[in-house]
Amino acid sequence: MGVLDKLFGNDSDKDKKATADFSDVRSGSSSTAAFNRTYTVVAGDSLSKIAKREYGDASKWHRIFEANRDKIQNPDLIQPGQVLNLPQG
Amino acid sequence: MLRYFRGPIVGTVCFALTLTASGCGKKDKASVETASGAAVSTPVSVTDVKLGRALGADKRLTDETDKFRPADVIYAVVETQGTAPNTLLQAHWTYQDGQLVDESSRNISAAGEDVTEFHVSKPSGWPKGKYTVQILLNGAPVESKDFEVK
Repeated sequence: MGVLDKLFGNDSDKDKKATADFSDVRSGSSSTAAFNRTYTVVAGDSLSKIAKREYGDASKWHRIFEANRDKIQNPDLIQPGQVLNLPQG
Repeated sequence: MLRYFRGPIVGTVCFALTLTASGCGKKDKASVETASGAAVSTPVSVTDVKLGRALGADKRLTDETDKFRPADVIYAVVETQGTAPNTLLQAHWTYQDGQLVDESSRNISAAGEDVTEFHVSKPSGWPKGKYTVQILLNGAPVESKDFEVK
């Protein structure tokens, strides 16, 4: 990089790196389809694994946790055989 | 000894039944019921995807468009047909350069003709430019729509 680029910046590089900020995007969904599902925990499951499988996104594990607060005290500890409610994704 | 022939015989019968079933012509995508009235799963397919900026109580668009303003809420309405208790719909929203805007998913219990809407909003305003929303059905891309913010 030349001295002038350091002083005034290189516009072409800036253009390449410029990205729009979508950090405040909010999203949601709804459906006419019914949603009334449960899931029975099997050995080796974790909330994030279930979220990944059911919603395609492991980070949505907290939705399952919130929907089952009466059954789950510790989100890192779920038991095989537990029947969990699966909230809307 | 019959035990050794049971496998191939069963396989042949199943194969023949499969051929017969698939050769019956047009498949009915609507819900199918057994004699006892229990619903049977039929393949779910996406029949239409539309974009707009306003939604009615029936989840259908009241203001369909592919041109949006920076302050708009953008709706993608997905129509499906078929019956399956565990159907995953996903919407991947991307900006013109491929940058991910948002990903959302909804696991539905599809029963016949259903309408599912995904929406995104951005309180600070959408950057002007071209966008795409891609709809995935059970993880597989099935349709995409382009739109523009002006």
